Amino acid sequence: MTDPLLEQAEKAAPRQRFILEDTGFDEVPVKYRRFYRRWGGPPDPLAPNEVVCPVCKVVIRSTRELRPGDRVYCMPCMSRLIVIEGEGGRLEATVSY
Amino acid sequence: MPDSTQEVHALEPSEFLEEVHSFEFWFQSVEGYLSGRPYGHHEMEEPEIDEAQRDRLITTLCNYCVGELAALEGASGLILFAPNREAKIFLATQVVDEARHLEVLYHRLQAIGVSDPEGEIERRAAHPLKLFKRRLLELVASKDWEAALFAQNVILEAMEFAAFQTHARRTDPVTREVLEGIIKDERRHMGFGENEIGRCLARAPHVRSRLGEVKKELDYLVLETFSESVADLGIERSEQTDLGRLYLAAVERLGFTND
Repeated sequence: MTDPLLEQAEKAAPRQRFILEDTGFDEVPVKYRRFYRRWGGPPDPLAPNEVVCPVCKVVIRSTRELRPGDRVYCMPCMSRLIVIEGEGGRLEATVSY
Repeated sequence: MPDSTQEVHALEPSEFLEEVHSFEFWFQSVEGYLSGRPYGHHEMEEPEIDEAQRDRLITTLCNYCVGELAALEGASGLILFAPNREAKIFLATQVVDEARHLEVLYHRLQAIGVSDPEGEIERRAAHPLKLFKRRLLELVASKDWEAALFAQNVILEAMEFAAFQTHARRTDPVTREVLEGIIKDERRHMGFGENEIGRCLARAPHVRSRLGEVKKELDYLVLETFSESVADLGIERSEQTDLGRLYLAAVERLGFTND
């Protein structure tokens, strides 16, 4: 579900794609591990395809650059999240019940 | 079953929930971080700790045992009146997790020289925590799904998550590894509670006031437990606020104010 304005923006600037590798995150079944990694706290920078889960503080990763309005899932804590633009333009995630 | 080559975030919400609440998902998850770790840790030499540290650790582990026993009894009771298959299956996995937690903590007590863990738990466990357990089990016995799940999987789990995370950073290597394994399980329990309650509040906003009352009643016991436990957890009194903040974040996300 993406609104027309975001679709337009996407056409203007195609999203970066990412190849995800296993980072040693062992809390979900093997086939899902590459989509998550541990977070080292605020000094640990996030890539454009990553957001921190506000519930369990695990980093959620996607194969594509994330943008506000995207839906992501945190499997370690079973939360559905929506990406939003936070302070200073940084991407954050908010729980969508 | 979802295609493993697929972007996980492209799953439909119903597919996602079916997957993460399944026994298979649980089994493959815990296999990743528990195999090869009997009683929650790799084989390693028992670290040397002084008598005062050992005494504090015993008290802390006794408190954890009360919390885990409450969660074990609470989660198993909840299965009976959980509203759907997925919730019942998820809670069954939680029951196994809680039983494991109780066992590894009990084992840790024995490993540091406690010959009668039951008696020690009875003598040392914080009174507010015992009251919390009693109240939680009353809510479960009343078969009030929302209130019991809120008390168990939001309030109790958030309290445990905050305490274990804080303690794991400051304790000996064996206890740390045991706690880190428990924290990985707690992510699921806490997330299940928050998301179930969040969906319930979206469907039935009138439930909020009842849960607000439960929160008001139990918050006091949680904060009293923290207050009694800070010294044993090895944290400065000034850091107690951080512990409280970690706990309160979950209930804040559900829209409950903390006054």
